[in-house]
Amino acid sequence: MKEVVINPITRLEGHGSISIFLNDAGEVENAYLKIPELRGFEQFCIGRKAELMPILTTRICGVCPVAHHFASTKALDAAFNVDPPSTAKKLRELMYSGYIIYDHILHFYFLGGPDFIVGPDAPPEKRNILGVIEKAGMDVAKQVIKHRSYGQRITAILGGKATHPTCGLPGGISKALNEENRKEIEEMALSSLGFAQLSLKLFHDVVLGNTAYVDLIKSDSYTMKTYYMGMVDDNNKVNFYDGKIRVVDPNGLEFLKFEPKDYLDHVGEHVEEWTYS
Amino acid sequence: MVENKLKIAFYWAASCGGCEIAVLDLDEKILDVVKIADIVFWPVAMDIKYKDVENMPDKYIDICFFNGSVRNDEQEHMAKLLRQKSKVLVAFGSCAHEGCIPGLANLHNSEQILSKVYLKQFSNENPDKVIPKPETQVKEGTLRIPRFYDTVKTLAQTVEVDYYLPGCPPPVKLIANAVEAIAKNELPPKGSVLAPLKSVCDECPRTRDDKKITKIYRVYEKVPEPEKCLLEQGILCMGPATRSGCDAQCLTVDMPCTGCGGPCPNVPEQGAAMISALASIMGVEEEKEAYTEEEVETLMSQIKDPIGTFYMYSLPASILKRKVIKQ
Repeated sequence: MKEVVINPITRLEGHGSISIFLNDAGEVENAYLKIPELRGFEQFCIGRKAELMPILTTRICGVCPVAHHFASTKALDAAFNVDPPSTAKKLRELMYSGYIIYDHILHFYFLGGPDFIVGPDAPPEKRNILGVIEKAGMDVAKQVIKHRSYGQRITAILGGKATHPTCGLPGGISKALNEENRKEIEEMALSSLGFAQLSLKLFHDVVLGNTAYVDLIKSDSYTMKTYYMGMVDDNNKVNFYDGKIRVVDPNGLEFLKFEPKDYLDHVGEHVEEWTYS
Repeated sequence: MVENKLKIAFYWAASCGGCEIAVLDLDEKILDVVKIADIVFWPVAMDIKYKDVENMPDKYIDICFFNGSVRNDEQEHMAKLLRQKSKVLVAFGSCAHEGCIPGLANLHNSEQILSKVYLKQFSNENPDKVIPKPETQVKEGTLRIPRFYDTVKTLAQTVEVDYYLPGCPPPVKLIANAVEAIAKNELPPKGSVLAPLKSVCDECPRTRDDKKITKIYRVYEKVPEPEKCLLEQGILCMGPATRSGCDAQCLTVDMPCTGCGGPCPNVPEQGAAMISALASIMGVEEEKEAYTEEEVETLMSQIKDPIGTFYMYSLPASILKRKVIKQ
């Protein structure tokens, strides 16, 4: 069978390759997503100091270190059996919100977005941030850069470093927020809100305003029917820092909701011989 | 348009992606980079494939920034390939420089790691005890994935390296300095570490009173005084043994340095340097007579997980390299 290999998969965090097998008629017979990467955190975290986990596990992913940082920090809360004061919880959530600003900009303008903004017919060498700058203009580019840096700055104020923060402790965080920094964060947050609206408008105008795009997005090849899992608050609204895990089916109906600590009752890891994860 | 623009490549081996983010953290300076350079390979940001790199003439790339350590055969192949295709190869970030946190895997071998990850995790649903392997026959053909090595190696333990940019990730200031040196063709002699010669303590604004300590506190055991040296308050801080360039950022949130900048110049063993710094702050060195062997033992036993503390980022590059595992 003819094999088409995509190696590496680009514009995503992490390593991957795809093997697509074609039958004699040239139709896709099967496709495999292979992850070539393994580092073994599950093993080498054992024996380390518990309080080091929020720092050590950030290295699972340097694009989303804040997620790993606070997952470990919350695990420490549970292990030490302490409930952080409300201020600490809010500061953690504030830092996570700063991270979301940076991460969504990264996804929208650098990783996933170029296919839409530069266009699905654009040559591969144009489908990247430089192509986005060419298409959207230098003014937008400077806004992108500025607000991405705001997200990083918010994490750095509270976490020490943006990539890889260090502030998480069992029962709280290491440093309080002073008034000067609070003001700075507020200004950056308000500016980011404006930029989010501008980005939504850009998506609306460039993508949703173009019927060719919309047809493509709604076509079979771009549609995957799947279950979704995410964290929600008491009103089933998305919450990135705390809440319950909610799973919805392909029609958006709730399939399951559970406390994060009970994940082993609901989540299992399947293993294949031909991929490390 | 600049004639004869430089050709720059970025690659990640066994890494976390934080080094790519550090490049983006150049912010507006990244626009200066693309003015003087074409980026010819950067998997996180551009759709260029391995075969495109293989088709490049030798020494086609002017400067390749290589992050991540080398812990499987694909990464070793890419390290050798990019060495062949690049005039200048920079070990970018702690993983390529020293092995970093994923280098702690050298306390185990591949068998132990594979068995832990795929067979012994609480979340494993693996009744057939499947473990990934380099080659698998499926009905459509053969699927290949890299061979997972026993030992994590640094880039310099794999190929010849021209420069090192330390840090996890490298501080933006150091990246910007390196880019400027490249643009002006003012790079220092080959083999240089592109970072200040000082230690993190030299950049740390906290005050020191040359106080001796006898008790070590874990970070959650003590709220430190904000303006005083953490080490002198009994909190283990790797600052004295760690190369600067980071503006002591972790200390700004009252957390100790854990050593990501790697060893100071002319002190190749970061862990040994820290043990020596501790011996001196605990007064063990100057006041040998004041302590019995037993008392020294008691002092030192307060330090939990010495290998993970002193060699958190530098185990593969250290003289220890790895744990010997008897079969």
